Amino acid sequence: MPTSETSVESLIQSLVKSVRAIQIYGLSHPSAKGFYTRFYHQLSGFLSEDAELTLQIEQSSILCNGETVYHEDEKDNNLAFRLFRDGIRTILFSEGITFDELLLFLETVGTAGKDQDIALGLWDCYFDHIEFYVVEEEEQEAQYGPPKMIKMNIDYDQKLKEILEKERIRLDKNIDLELSDDEINELKAEMLIKQKIRPVTRAITTLIDFLHYQKSDDIIKSLIELLEECVVNGLFYDARRIVHKLNQYPDVDAVKRFENEETIIGFSNTVNTASEPVFNEFVAFAGFFSKKSVPFLIRLLGAVKHPNRAIALRNRIASICDQDLELLRPLLSNQDADVLINTIGIIGLSRSQEIPSMLEPLCSHPNHKIRVAVVSALAQCEDTPRITQFIDDPHPDVRIKALGVLSEIGYTRIYMKVLDRIKQKKFRSLELVEQKEYFNYLLHNGGKFLVNDLKKILFKRTFFRGKDYSPLRKLAALSLARVNSKDARQVLLAGIGRRNRDIRQACEQALKKT
Amino acid sequence: MSTYESGTTFVSLFYALIKAAQVYDLGNDVVQHGAQRFVHFLNTLLNLYSHIEIIRYRDYIFFNKQRLRFQIDGYASLQFLHERMKHLKIRNLVFKPGVEKEEIIIFASLFKDEDSFLKEYDRKKFHHVCVEFSTGDEEIPEFLRDSERIKRTYFKALAVTKNLLQNLWTRQPANVSSSRRIVYNLIDSLSHDEFGLLALTTIKNFDEYTYNHSLNVGVFSLALGQRIGLSKKDLAQVGTAGLLHDIGKVSIDKDIIYKDGKLTENEWEAVKLHSQFGVEQILQTRGLDETGLVSMAVCYQHHWNVDGTGYPRRKGTEKPFLFSKIVRICDSYDAMTTARVYQPIPYLPHIALRVLWQLRHICFDPVLVKVFIQLSGLYPLGSCLEMSTGDVALVLRQNPGHFSLPIVKIVLDKNQGPIEGPTIDLSVDKHVYIKKPVYPQKYDINPAEFFMKSPAGDSEVKIA
Repeated sequence: MPTSETSVESLIQSLVKSVRAIQIYGLSHPSAKGFYTRFYHQLSGFLSEDAELTLQIEQSSILCNGETVYHEDEKDNNLAFRLFRDGIRTILFSEGITFDELLLFLETVGTAGKDQDIALGLWDCYFDHIEFYVVEEEEQEAQYGPPKMIKMNIDYDQKLKEILEKERIRLDKNIDLELSDDEINELKAEMLIKQKIRPVTRAITTLIDFLHYQKSDDIIKSLIELLEECVVNGLFYDARRIVHKLNQYPDVDAVKRFENEETIIGFSNTVNTASEPVFNEFVAFAGFFSKKSVPFLIRLLGAVKHPNRAIALRNRIASICDQDLELLRPLLSNQDADVLINTIGIIGLSRSQEIPSMLEPLCSHPNHKIRVAVVSALAQCEDTPRITQFIDDPHPDVRIKALGVLSEIGYTRIYMKVLDRIKQKKFRSLELVEQKEYFNYLLHNGGKFLVNDLKKILFKRTFFRGKDYSPLRKLAALSLARVNSKDARQVLLAGIGRRNRDIRQACEQALKKT
Repeated sequence: MSTYESGTTFVSLFYALIKAAQVYDLGNDVVQHGAQRFVHFLNTLLNLYSHIEIIRYRDYIFFNKQRLRFQIDGYASLQFLHERMKHLKIRNLVFKPGVEKEEIIIFASLFKDEDSFLKEYDRKKFHHVCVEFSTGDEEIPEFLRDSERIKRTYFKALAVTKNLLQNLWTRQPANVSSSRRIVYNLIDSLSHDEFGLLALTTIKNFDEYTYNHSLNVGVFSLALGQRIGLSKKDLAQVGTAGLLHDIGKVSIDKDIIYKDGKLTENEWEAVKLHSQFGVEQILQTRGLDETGLVSMAVCYQHHWNVDGTGYPRRKGTEKPFLFSKIVRICDSYDAMTTARVYQPIPYLPHIALRVLWQLRHICFDPVLVKVFIQLSGLYPLGSCLEMSTGDVALVLRQNPGHFSLPIVKIVLDKNQGPIEGPTIDLSVDKHVYIKKPVYPQKYDINPAEFFMKSPAGDSEVKIA
């Protein structure tokens, strides 16, 4: 490890080579990397023995302990001269310096342009293990002599008395300057608050407060600049505050700059990866967008992966549309299924009576997901006759959706039809999930005959034990359990005494759930 | 661990050991354990450094040439060590490799009182701990000869401030990087010699009030920020904010700013707008960088009181934030103590401090007021004092821990004749005490002139 003067010399050679390599090749070039990595290891080794390395900077030389360890007469590419010119006279590296810290130092020195102040650049880095001593030019001092003292022809002691009286000050009153633990904690808490609140947040508050008293184009311009910064950095709460304020000025359109496809689609990352509060703030911020942003927002909605977030954003888009369905009509011919589904969803949220006619062409769309979306939208305006058509749809998802919404709406007109279907043999070939939806419908729409109808399904005689009928008994029993009336429970209790094992088991399981 | 961190840890461990040795028998576990911890840490340091040197120079303690600052954390231990070293007339302590627990316990036990230290130190013959005593003439350590640098920094800062404000006044482009550079340089100067820089704030140029005031508020804000332990980045922000706090005045009619006489109600309302104008000025000069944003908020809030009053009127219940409260105190203090057109006779510094004290909880943050008075002492630098002896003195430096007993320099004798009098540490010399503070004008004394010769009386330190 280097400890002697000559090794400091080699250390400085390494420093100079690193700076030059960064100047010529840039920070990420392998040659530069090789130089500065080697320099870091050399310096760390040195500091682990000597704790500190202090370099004195002169116009053409760098010295360590009074010995010249670098000298260059040429001013171009002269590290000593560059540092000296900007007033740097001493640089001290101390033990504990990190690779990143050293890299930042080398980058600052290496990439500073001829007009840039290296001292300022280094100060801006706030190093922990690199200190430097900077001097200022001397010329200014000469302009200043000691200021003259103005002596007036008055009684100064009397003046002092007057001030004491005016301020009601008693000089004999003790001033306790000891800081109590509470006061220290108070101060520390205040310092923590200062760190928590971003300068930009505080500045926005200031500027908004300013505008409260006086309109200023400069302030508005700055707020618009800050708005852009907030949006880029995901500070949507602050962004919202700015837009909220600027919306008071009809001649200012603060969000216009964001209402383009590129910017809005650029939020794809935000809507999926941002934390819940940031996402919610984003959705709230989007509320300031105008209708012209809707097509882009609908495309963005297609990129949202989390279902709850999609719902939140869809609701927000619907509120931006503000019942204006004509805005959405062109999107209904969009080829992108996600766009189409989200558009239908937003149309549904309008609950307009125009929905059925708007969506009519899509009722037979080849993509069953589109048809599911149509059913959902029709449900919003409770167009039950149209929804009923979908219980015969070729795709189970559509049928299930249709039955589901009819259950929720409470549409009793097809009760008998549904009951008949359950009784039909082909019902047994349906997927369990669809069967469940049928029973669910009965539960929601059955009147005083419901228990009896379920009882009949539960106790139906079958040949050869009717193994494929077993699930229906279970669903009927479970439905009775959900009804949970006295009659329903009696039916289930009676079922326990039945010889048929399927009936017994179905009733036993159902009773456990009552 | 940086040199500074090593220094503060070293001092706190040494302090704990001395305290334990004062209270318990030397064989007691508390002493033994304290010594073990200290020696362990010392040996760790001695693997890095050839020796450890603690220097007391004036009111400072240096650990291997690194000045340790009086901050809230570790204040007691540093103050104790400073007091003890001063009391025992120790100039420096050197710890060499090979220190053992037994040796350090005996050494620590000597710190009880002056007599035992002086007698026992010679008798015990310590091999790995050396003490150098003060001879009376405190020679400035080589690494501290930077008062010239401080002066140069201050005047450069003044020139830059003047240039900045003048350019804004005449609507010319302002050099922002110069003001950034001087704030950093002031921070460095302050960390080297807090009092040296603060002494220069006694320069209060009547004709150039705005420039001097802006700079002084910047310097005071930095010093107060440093006292409460702000990071360098925060210091740069609060210093810049202090420097720019009154920048909005350039948007107000000069005739109002420099009006010789009482302002009318309308004129006063116009002056009050400077907080708002300042926001616009900062936006134009600094743009929207982080320091600019902070300065802007401070500029807007620097006349907000902690009780919710002040101007500009607040829309909601927002409170001034830490930096605004710092600048609020520094601004008020410097404004009170400076002669201006409409205040030809300023408040004496100690009166201004009393006003701050009275108005804590109303206008000013009470904790920050305490720290500010701790920083300046009850008789701030440059205060002119009539002494019990009939002499007239100037406050040269503060005494940490003795806020009402500064170090003073006799400048006039009993007959009011100018003399090159002695420097007296009032915490040591109990025969002399302050009779009352007076206006320096009464005796034709110009404190600024005195400090211009040497900040905080650098070359004058000869403790009587």
